[in-house]
Amino acid sequence: MTTKTASGNVRQFTLDNGLRLVTAPADTGQVAAVNLWYGVGSRYEVPGRTGFAHLFEHLMFQGSGNVAKGEHFDAVERLGGDINASTSTDRTNYFETVPEHALDLALWLEADRLATLRQGVTQEVLDNQRDVVKNERRQRYDNVPYGTALERILRLGYPEGHPYHHPTIGSMADLDAADLDYVLSFHERHYGPDNLVLTVVSNLDSDDVRNRVERYFGSVPARREPAQAPDASLSGPIGGPVRDSVTENVPAPAVFLGYRIPPYGERGFDIANLAAAVLGQGQGSRLYRRLVVERGLATDDGGAAGDVLPFRYTPSLLLINMIAREGVSGDELETAILEEVAGMVEGVTEEELERARAVLERDHLQSLSHPSGLADAIGSCTQLFGDPELAYTWPQRWADITTEEVEDCARRMLTQRNLLVVRFDPPAAPEAAQDDGAEHAPA
Amino acid sequence: MLQTRPDLGSPQPYTFPKPRRLRVGNGNVVAIDVPGQQYAAVRLVQPAGGAAEPPDRMGVAALTGEVLEDGIHGNSSLAPALERHGAEWVSRVTWDSFVTGVDAPVNRISEATSLFAEAVRRPALLRDDVLRRRDQLVEQFWLEASMPSTLATRAVGGQLFSGRYATPLSGGPVRLNDVTPEMVADFHSRNIANVAGTLVVVGDLANVDLEKLGTTVFGDAESAPEASVTPPEPAPGEVPRVLLIDRPDSVQSALVLAHRAPSRSEVDLPKADGISDVLGGMFTSRLNLELRENLGYTYGAGSRFDLRRDSGVFLVSTQVERDATAHSITASIAETEKLQSGGVTAAELEAVRESNTVGMPVTYSTARSLASALVEMVVHDLPDDYVDRMRAGFERITADDLGQAARQYLRPEEFVVIVVGDAQHLQQPLRDTGIGPVTVREPDSLWG
Repeated sequence: MTTKTASGNVRQFTLDNGLRLVTAPADTGQVAAVNLWYGVGSRYEVPGRTGFAHLFEHLMFQGSGNVAKGEHFDAVERLGGDINASTSTDRTNYFETVPEHALDLALWLEADRLATLRQGVTQEVLDNQRDVVKNERRQRYDNVPYGTALERILRLGYPEGHPYHHPTIGSMADLDAADLDYVLSFHERHYGPDNLVLTVVSNLDSDDVRNRVERYFGSVPARREPAQAPDASLSGPIGGPVRDSVTENVPAPAVFLGYRIPPYGERGFDIANLAAAVLGQGQGSRLYRRLVVERGLATDDGGAAGDVLPFRYTPSLLLINMIAREGVSGDELETAILEEVAGMVEGVTEEELERARAVLERDHLQSLSHPSGLADAIGSCTQLFGDPELAYTWPQRWADITTEEVEDCARRMLTQRNLLVVRFDPPAAPEAAQDDGAEHAPA
Repeated sequence: MLQTRPDLGSPQPYTFPKPRRLRVGNGNVVAIDVPGQQYAAVRLVQPAGGAAEPPDRMGVAALTGEVLEDGIHGNSSLAPALERHGAEWVSRVTWDSFVTGVDAPVNRISEATSLFAEAVRRPALLRDDVLRRRDQLVEQFWLEASMPSTLATRAVGGQLFSGRYATPLSGGPVRLNDVTPEMVADFHSRNIANVAGTLVVVGDLANVDLEKLGTTVFGDAESAPEASVTPPEPAPGEVPRVLLIDRPDSVQSALVLAHRAPSRSEVDLPKADGISDVLGGMFTSRLNLELRENLGYTYGAGSRFDLRRDSGVFLVSTQVERDATAHSITASIAETEKLQSGGVTAAELEAVRESNTVGMPVTYSTARSLASALVEMVVHDLPDDYVDRMRAGFERITADDLGQAARQYLRPEEFVVIVVGDAQHLQQPLRDTGIGPVTVREPDSLWG
């Protein structure tokens, strides 16, 4: 039931049709974790077609040539299996953990929708899932406080027309505009075995797994023409500070800061990741200690104020987010956070760095401690970097990063020129409008 | 050439791992050895949940759970100390239990458990820490309640019960303000500091000395007292009825349809869970298929039983497009009634049976899920073979059983329907449904 496996047991195969298979024999008890990373995400979307990669993910559960609408979910769910999918900028990920005797069924279901999805999609299905996704957007973005923060951050962080300028959920207008022809052509362009990393974590012998995958996926033809991603090249700082000030019916002022950092996978990204952890990961982090415990300016987030948004094919973002305590203005909180960020240049201690490493390592090792998490990490490392073993060695990337490197990162990247700010403030109370007007003026 | 659909064949028989039990001092250790699992889950279960809190100190258990994170030195000192061992503090206060613990690499389990035990037994409980955590909890209550689904769920207790359950577990924004540092210290000294409880440990235990771990946690603490059980009183008011909580300009409505249910020990769990699975518990459930896959009103719908030692609640929940609010409610009630009158299909019976038997290896495939099962067994006095008994119950279940469960456990005629949405748009359509009286409330009037 666990995923203890020497990294040397991991094997990688490439089928004739280009499918990359990774097998990781592990002590998984009676379950097998199946994870598919397709190399398509919202970075392939163009203006007017946003949200499509994610909408398409929904359609993948709606039936294919030999599987009826809803049958894929039903088949896995009645096995007690865990099943779901997610879409990001850089990939679309489908995953299921099933009892081992059902591994063949899971592989067959995945192969069928890869090979024959276009036979199962109808206008009715498209219309229904469009409604479902629009409700997902309402639930996660439009009907919750601060829900549009990510959308606003990306708008400021990446220029108009850039493939990372919009979130994967897309806009309501673009979702409305999605048509059946585009659905079919999207599948043809992106869903080929040559664009897939399939990972199986199980107790089974690697050759056995390979034979099964060959049996179900071997005859699925590669794409005739691999899709070309829109140009995501970008250099230099954001050109800030740039800001988006939102007055909305939110319960308290909230501050979101973003800084461009190197792409995911580069050493500069790892350094920035540690900087984010020093600043805002865990209750030993600077922002938690100073602004939550000592000064009482921010609400208690348990130590989750600093994070990174990893993008493989363009500069990533270091993000900071805190919400103001009662009686604390957004300006006051924003100023206080910026002071802490500026303080990183003054120096980072070895002890702080050790703590930050420990937090990141803990999270990484926890994610590998179950079959599904290990399969996901392997799929990610194979799809994005061509190296499944990275899943095991990832914490080593942080081991030799020095305090000087983190300080240097702060000096070069955590600057006003590279800063984006998204601020949410509640409307000023009528009787206090005049006073608050000055206080809330844009910085 | 694509292959034809493979035959599943037979699953391997599954048996829940037999826990090892030890008596250490006045406490119990219950452990599952999972060879190879390098991340251990350690939990201390004590019988001091929110249900027994007196009216003048509602929320004291939840606040104490928070304050323990300040550690023996106070000032939020526990988490950073644990972080250095790659460990993470775990704390969960429920109506029936007070659960604390750590997740830690198994080779650091002794150090992490020592830190955790110190924090639980000898916390600083500094006055400033308690006040800071209390004020933060009150503000967080409103932050979280600005999420419509959270607001709707938190309103359920006050609609179904009078007494303690009418106020949220954390004491809510009003009662919690009355909890003082002295009350926290008193609660801690009576229920936590010197009460041994049960220690749950899951992971690769080959090199773990469970007795020593137990001694670290229990010391010379006393045996846990028997928890008393008194069934709660219902809330007054006509049922079914609609409570509309105004959230102006909402583009979506959060819905909860809830009614009282028997206590956990009074319920035949495979039957109750089985019928909930059919109605809303699975992706392929009737509510999800109707509201999401057929009507396109929602991103998802669900149902579940929340069963406590002295009572229970059944809930249907979803979030729907604003203009589909009224129809979503009547459609949900209609699906419930249809299930009562028509029973389940052969395919639904099979899905319930299979997912709860064949699926057990997946359900218990992580250290955390195994630990959760053990905690549940401790809290509800369940035998070691409880999971296997559940599986046997599901293997035996028939369509008649599920039909009977639908009539016995689902009570749409007693539903209180809670809607968090734009009252201006929703009031009339909700009245037009004829479900029952519609009351409109502001969120800050809900918890006095």
